[in-house]
Amino acid sequence: MTDYIEIQDLSVTFDAKGRKVKAVEGVSLCVDKHKSYGLVGESGSGKSTILRAICGLAPITGGTIKIGGEALPSPRGKSFSARVQMVFQDPYASLHPRHTIDRTLSEPLMIHGIGDTDSRVMKALDDVGLPKSFRFRYPHQLSGGQRQRVAIARALMLQPEILLLDEPTSALDASVQAEVLNLLTRLREERGLTFLMVSHDLAVIDHICDDILVMQHGRAVEELSREDLASARISTVYARSLFDASADRLLG
Amino acid sequence: MSLLEVENLRVTFSTETGPVEAVRGVSFQLGRERLGIVGESGSGKTMTGRAVLRLIRPPGKIQTDRMIFDGQDLSKASERDMRALRGRRIAMVMQDPKYSLNPVMRVGDQLTEGLRQRDRLGAAEARKKALAALEAVQIRDPERVMDAYPHELSGGMGQRVMIAMMLIPEPDLLIADEPTSALDVTVQAEVLSILDGLVRERGMGLIFISHDLRLVARFCDRVLVMYKGRVVEELVARDLMAAQHPYTRGLLNCLPRIGGSRAPLPGLDRTGTWAND
Repeated sequence: MTDYIEIQDLSVTFDAKGRKVKAVEGVSLCVDKHKSYGLVGESGSGKSTILRAICGLAPITGGTIKIGGEALPSPRGKSFSARVQMVFQDPYASLHPRHTIDRTLSEPLMIHGIGDTDSRVMKALDDVGLPKSFRFRYPHQLSGGQRQRVAIARALMLQPEILLLDEPTSALDASVQAEVLNLLTRLREERGLTFLMVSHDLAVIDHICDDILVMQHGRAVEELSREDLASARISTVYARSLFDASADRLLG
Repeated sequence: MSLLEVENLRVTFSTETGPVEAVRGVSFQLGRERLGIVGESGSGKTMTGRAVLRLIRPPGKIQTDRMIFDGQDLSKASERDMRALRGRRIAMVMQDPKYSLNPVMRVGDQLTEGLRQRDRLGAAEARKKALAALEAVQIRDPERVMDAYPHELSGGMGQRVMIAMMLIPEPDLLIADEPTSALDVTVQAEVLSILDGLVRERGMGLIFISHDLRLVARFCDRVLVMYKGRVVEELVARDLMAAQHPYTRGLLNCLPRIGGSRAPLPGLDRTGTWAND
């Protein structure tokens, strides 16, 4: 099987007040189709920047990103967004405050000229476990967990193959986090999605992802499989310190 | 001797649909120790913390039988007395640095404002104290941070700036509302050790509000578990993992574990009698 998402030697450099800030430096990773890949590291380690670079939201200064063997067009265009969608960290900031849920969910359909809006919106709400009565509500009438469900529903409107998840549960309570993680697991199984997920919680990453890349200061530190993590087969000092700081998240 | 005694605290908001009770009869005592308050959002843990400082705006109302801080009844204190206590003797670190720092004021000016107004220090001396406070919370480049605006700082830096600001007047009681939830594990450990040092060395009392049970179990001495405005269980923190109450158990069980199974995580069962009274 060929690699589905293939990132080679990616670098992202921001220009901050004339100073070059290297957010990502020479990171390579491969994700197989239908697999789930996790990025962990402290804030500022460049993990979210990788997701943003895939979407064309960060200035790529080196390296290549291929999906399904093809290089990505720039600007990304409609065929890209039909294939790859992103769920952001903060459900309070990522939904338009003055658009109803209905408008948020039907907008991607309108842009892509897909009809049958009514039944698709209803089905989308149903898929993420929200009652139909939520359709004409505004985001401020919803709780954090409900908003994140809407954000996931929005990302799935175009039936993409890949979901980029940027800390999808870190703004949520433990019980709500469990619900959203269960939802993501179920949707991945049902639709054969490929996940690329960022989180700083090793336990969350371990629950969802098959392979994990530990990052620090914009560089890849160590790649681990789920088995490596469970049996603490970790070779680098930084990944070890991250693992030790999460010791209370271990089973037992 | 306890530093703070709260008996039967109630916080009520009158809304169009009638009064809503955010806190319903919470009682606790605090010595010079680390007390954790955990619960989901909406459980009243933040309101409990704010009520101690009487920082609840109308239409919210605070009622309590007793609320004694160091021999002084806070429920009967005048607004003038409260002003003298806030910041200097009881300080609070708010949850979100994005909303709690003044966005149009340099960090240095915000840090020195209290020193200059309250303590009547000169500019140079205030700056020196502020720099020392930033160093105390492990900020690597304090000079740069002093001249920065809040939006130029990361969440973790902003959080540490707020902690530094609250610690400058050396309060006897610190109420920290989710002080580390915006931080990642490695920075979190640093901030906790700073707070820990203050409790140990200066005998400060700490109320640590969080929704992270595992963190509270590791860091605090005692824990109150809140649900719908009530304390459902009080525990010694190291026994938290062996809690008996169905709500506390439910909160613990819905957390994923490294090396755990991939089976769906159990949801929280809210059908017990405890959930409805």
